[in-house]
Amino acid sequence: MNQLILAVLVLTLGAGFCLLNTSNKIRAGFGLASQAIATALVWSAVIPVLMGGPDVTGGMPWAYPIGGIHFRLDALGAFFLSWSLPMTLLGSVYAVGYLHKYFAGPRHLGVHFALLNMISLSFLLVYTGEEVVTFLFGWELAALAAWQLVIWDYTNQKVRFAGFNYLVSTHVGLIFLIAAVMILYTHSQSWYLKDLGGWMSQHPGTLRNVVFLLLVTSFGLKSAFFPFHSWLPRAHAAAPAHVSALMSGVIHKAGLYALLRFLLLSGKPDEWMGWFLIAFSVTSAVVGGLYTVGQRDLKRLLGYSSTENVGIAGIGFGVGCLGLAWDNSALVALGFGGGLLHVLNHAFFKCQLFYAAGSVYQIKHVIDMERLGGLIKLMPGTATCFIIGGVAISALPPFNGFASEFMIYSGLFSGEHLGIWATLTLALVAAALAFVGAVSALSITRAFGVIFMGNPRDDTLPEAHEASRWMLVPMLVHTLGTVLLGVVPVLGLTLVAEPARLFMQAIPEVITDQTLGAIFATLSRIGAISGALIAAIVAVLWLRSRLWPQAPLRSATWGCGYDAANSRMQYTGASFSTDFAENFKSVMVMVKRQKAPAGYFPSESYVITDCVDAVERRLYTVIDHGHETAVELSAKMREDDPRLAFSAALAAIVIIAALVVLAEGALP
Amino acid sequence: MNLTLSLTHWLLVLTMPVALVGVINRTKSWWVGRKGPRLMQSAYDLVRLLGKRPVLSHTASPLFRAGAYVVLVCGVLAASMSPILGRYAPLQFDHDFIVVAYTLGFARIALMLCAMDVGSSFEGMGAAREASFSAYAEPALFLLIGSACAATGMTSFAALIGALHDTPHYALIVAPLTVALLILLQAEAARVPVDDPLTHLELTMIHEVMILDHSGPELAAMQFSAALKMSLYAGLIAALINPFSPTDDPLACALASLGLMLAVALVVGCIESLSARLPMRWVTRYLSIASAAALFAMVVIGLGGSGL
Repeated sequence: MNQLILAVLVLTLGAGFCLLNTSNKIRAGFGLASQAIATALVWSAVIPVLMGGPDVTGGMPWAYPIGGIHFRLDALGAFFLSWSLPMTLLGSVYAVGYLHKYFAGPRHLGVHFALLNMISLSFLLVYTGEEVVTFLFGWELAALAAWQLVIWDYTNQKVRFAGFNYLVSTHVGLIFLIAAVMILYTHSQSWYLKDLGGWMSQHPGTLRNVVFLLLVTSFGLKSAFFPFHSWLPRAHAAAPAHVSALMSGVIHKAGLYALLRFLLLSGKPDEWMGWFLIAFSVTSAVVGGLYTVGQRDLKRLLGYSSTENVGIAGIGFGVGCLGLAWDNSALVALGFGGGLLHVLNHAFFKCQLFYAAGSVYQIKHVIDMERLGGLIKLMPGTATCFIIGGVAISALPPFNGFASEFMIYSGLFSGEHLGIWATLTLALVAAALAFVGAVSALSITRAFGVIFMGNPRDDTLPEAHEASRWMLVPMLVHTLGTVLLGVVPVLGLTLVAEPARLFMQAIPEVITDQTLGAIFATLSRIGAISGALIAAIVAVLWLRSRLWPQAPLRSATWGCGYDAANSRMQYTGASFSTDFAENFKSVMVMVKRQKAPAGYFPSESYVITDCVDAVERRLYTVIDHGHETAVELSAKMREDDPRLAFSAALAAIVIIAALVVLAEGALP
Repeated sequence: MNLTLSLTHWLLVLTMPVALVGVINRTKSWWVGRKGPRLMQSAYDLVRLLGKRPVLSHTASPLFRAGAYVVLVCGVLAASMSPILGRYAPLQFDHDFIVVAYTLGFARIALMLCAMDVGSSFEGMGAAREASFSAYAEPALFLLIGSACAATGMTSFAALIGALHDTPHYALIVAPLTVALLILLQAEAARVPVDDPLTHLELTMIHEVMILDHSGPELAAMQFSAALKMSLYAGLIAALINPFSPTDDPLACALASLGLMLAVALVVGCIESLSARLPMRWVTRYLSIASAAALFAMVVIGLGGSGL
């Protein structure tokens, strides 16, 4: 545990040095150096645990009222730590390139890097905390640091609004979490997570179901499951690219971690919990996927795709829960293993996509896809990273997204004897997942095709050029990870195997090695096929260049007889998605503003289509109505109205009486 | 034994694309009273294209030329796992059908990106249509496979297609699945009523419009892959119906498969001659029939499995 405490110390000191009164370059240097040291320290503790070593425990005394902080690093926490810290480090490296122009300016950049250190610190607390206080402290630290990072450009009112929206949402989630913890504490009289979980495992029934739903709501808000996602597209669009990347790829995985932690601690779940988790996740995946189709802001699009991908991972966890409920070890391994692998893979390709989007924004100062185009020729590196990430996020071979979705699919088509209706229902879930895959292929083709291919649509924007090295390197590292985990998915599975083993221990008399061995064999085959696919494509391309060495003739694009085509006439993002979105009008609200050409000499005319969030719209409508009702009510009542005082007193008496009567047992 | 089967499989996979296109075109000519092109005409066309020097759009990026070969390689990889002979495929392992579906998905994304790459509004339109129709076709394929998987308890493509013959309600299950596959074939291989390969109006095309700017060897690769995909679907329909087992009765099985695939081509040709292309907005509904048919098979399997 020494390394972990040391890492906390290094990160805190690093954050302190970042605030010193020196130049911005030195402050950033302190930030990066402390992150790098912390990463190395954490790895030295985490790797033995992931290789099957014993848990690392430790504690340190702390002031009243906490009393002491206790750590336990087990395989689940180790898995999350193993990539969270290095990816935050890469994000900080990207930040140096992204915020380049501020380095010479008067703005204090140290705060930004200190906050990034705080993010890393919060991972250490959340993923190793053994008691609720440590856990919640880390949870809150992450939320506040992320909020501060989001409002980097705080002079812009929209950015402040997005930040505030995020802050409120994340605290609504916290209320649910605290409610669940309070219920658990009153029954177990302990702050230790394992005691809370222990109570849950021994007392199935209504109260446990309530706690489960409270926890899922809270963690769903953190990880932006539908319908708790409305804060996410705004926050991701407003934040600097590396902050969006870290929030989407790394920070919000804490919600999934917490869900898994409680599932792991609370032993055998009820069957309905598994089905509930699957239904919740499928909805999230489908709706998140559909929303990606309509977006014209690339970062909003990527934000919605997070909702989709946590949904996909959630399907895996749901399958794992069903496996636990049915004592089926294959389902547990495939479900939890596949879900965790997807979490890792998503972290790789999502950051990569956000970094690519950030490079485009930094140079063009615009992220609206209808104004971009043709960037592949001027930014080949960024474009390559984007398309590799895009193919991976659509879960297509030969990249890593395919390996993890393959595992989740194999859980859905397990071929185990589960009863015919359960098998068929899981097949329906698989069909929904296939739909999600096709939809995300659509939106990635749309995004890449419109932004990077064809011709530039708007000449007034600055000339494009390749991103700086500080930004390209993190992008390339992520791309390398995406390709490597696609061709050798066994690498990812090795990280996931120990956490999956933890879940399998809940099932009596199971030979975990055998089940995991079968998955290792399958995934190495998938990796081999992906590798063969890449090799075959390269070989065919080489053969083609040898057989037909002649350079091709160049000519204009086929215009169907019309030769005055200009770049504004290319297919746009809106035209790409209109037909499809038309079929899902009930879910996606497409807003169209237009001014049709009129008169004999039509002058200005335009059509603007945008997809707004249905949940957010509804939310504000409801709040607005509520506000009006409250205003009306208070207008009707006079302050000195005796009925008001009487009813208020009556309500107070009833609440106090209920608290006295319903409270169980004495105060501790 | 396995070598012979494997050779037969590859022989069918590599010749059928040419033959099926020939049969479909012959059938269509026969309905309108013409003699029609030679059966092997598309092979001559491919050879001719291979000798041409390609013309590339000014706008095209390097991805444009690579895309055609990505589509080709993916098609061949999918073919190695598709059990067109019934209970046999050269490459066979648990859940290989996911690899087949997603490899074809990779091919599709490469095709659509090639279309977007030249900056033409027509090709973008084709890509958008392909993308939105595939969102309907893909779930249907998984429902179909899922129902076969639930009926047989098998998890590899070849085994679950082959074992369907031994399930209790064989006819009730296979009939809707065949309908579903035929609709998927029409969608994926761009045939009437989803798409008309012979149309000359770019606004009404789906597949053809996406390869408008391809020429020479790249066009040959694209056309062969499209025909290959069609023969994979035709092969799957043949395998659903084919009563012979490839391991017990290899010769009869191969011949039956050949005959059935040609029959599928005949049916496709007849439908194409006797009906018109659907309006674009109806295509999604037509594709939903495939999902509905697969769901019907699922209900049959569910009721059968629970003893009704």
